[in-house]
Amino acid sequence: MATLCRLREVPRHLLVCEKSNFGHDKSRHRHIVETHYHNYRVSFLIPECGLLSKELKDLVMEFGPYYSVKDLPLHELITHEFINAFVKKGSCYALTYNTNIDEDNAAALLPNGKLILSLDKDTYEETGLQGRPSRYSGRKVMKFSAEESALMSYFSSYRIQEHRPEVALRTAADLQCPVLRGGELGGQPEAACSAQELFDWLGAVFSHAELNNEPSNFLSSYCCPQPSTVVARASLCTVTGFILPEKICLLLEQLCHYFDEPKLAPWVTLSVQGFADSPVSWRESEHGFRQGGEHLYNFVIFNNRDYWLQMAVGANDDCPP
Amino acid sequence: MPAPAATYERIVYKNPSEHHYMKVCLEFQDRGVGLNAAQFKQLLISALKDLFGEVDAALPLDVLTYEEKSLSAILRICSSGLVKLWSSLTLLGSYKGKKCAFRVIQVSPFLLALSGNSRELVLD
Repeated sequence: MATLCRLREVPRHLLVCEKSNFGHDKSRHRHIVETHYHNYRVSFLIPECGLLSKELKDLVMEFGPYYSVKDLPLHELITHEFINAFVKKGSCYALTYNTNIDEDNAAALLPNGKLILSLDKDTYEETGLQGRPSRYSGRKVMKFSAEESALMSYFSSYRIQEHRPEVALRTAADLQCPVLRGGELGGQPEAACSAQELFDWLGAVFSHAELNNEPSNFLSSYCCPQPSTVVARASLCTVTGFILPEKICLLLEQLCHYFDEPKLAPWVTLSVQGFADSPVSWRESEHGFRQGGEHLYNFVIFNNRDYWLQMAVGANDDCPP
Repeated sequence: MPAPAATYERIVYKNPSEHHYMKVCLEFQDRGVGLNAAQFKQLLISALKDLFGEVDAALPLDVLTYEEKSLSAILRICSSGLVKLWSSLTLLGSYKGKKCAFRVIQVSPFLLALSGNSRELVLD
């Protein structure tokens, strides 16, 4: 019987849904964005929009380069020169590349100057450092984001390469969108969809899933949550790379300003996905991979400056802040 | 009269997802084997049936996306059926006499998490 029960179990996951307004003094939207350090994918969706504004396009194109440095010994990150040149200036982020957090040693540099090392037992004992056991159980390539040309010249004796985030823009036609009410986080029967339903729907849109299947369809019965409306066009944009929280803050601000002039769209969304192999999720909360390594958040920005914020984590994560 | 600004509210849902999502890819030992979407779904159903029988072959399973060229798909399964589906895929070894294997690329209770895979970031 116990075996049968275990067959039906899945690892714990959490979804935090918040609602607030950008005008509130205590609104935490900036804090959430600024303390989620290692961002891999940022995407936004604007219903009833066929062409992105010049400001949005320029902002997305200027997300800025990031750098990979091959065979960098970690001790280079704790030298006085590096700390004075980059860490003390703030906004310096780094993460080991191609290291699986559940298998390999990994390291991350946070903008507050802390170097987080996630080490296996042997390496930990070799370092002789004092740490604490992971709650969930190299000379490496590191990827960096910091002041531009300064990094290139500082690490010129190593193989340093500049990379640009990849931007993908597309327009969706006749998109079924859920009807939402900013004040009703849990939705309202037959009047508005819930935050959870919206979160699932967004996943379907960005995965290019069909949203209008008949119940008798053999392949899939997935449908857009109801009630819904069909919008003639929607703009979708995705940026992937090593993306700074500061840039995401600017994007969030720009999307809030989208509604400065009257628009047909009732809301827009901004989703951010973290690196699955980052040793931290928000602030210094330990992050583990377990089944999927997901730690992501999504804003729904309404035309009256109300917003919803959904934060999702997997099994080896603390509850988001 | 404009609606008043929303008051702060926070709800924490534990294990809210009724479904889990899997990004999978079917690999054949020999090249040149193709399946259309319906055949692909039929293969999943027969994998479940072989291991768990008729009842679990009828688990609600959706193929949300399918790419015939790469034989990759995003699947949706009720959360209580995830372990059964995953183990069925693991133990599937052949299709019409041809050796094959399922590669599970990503699994998550959140479909939005499957729209990107940071382990696929290539820097070289």
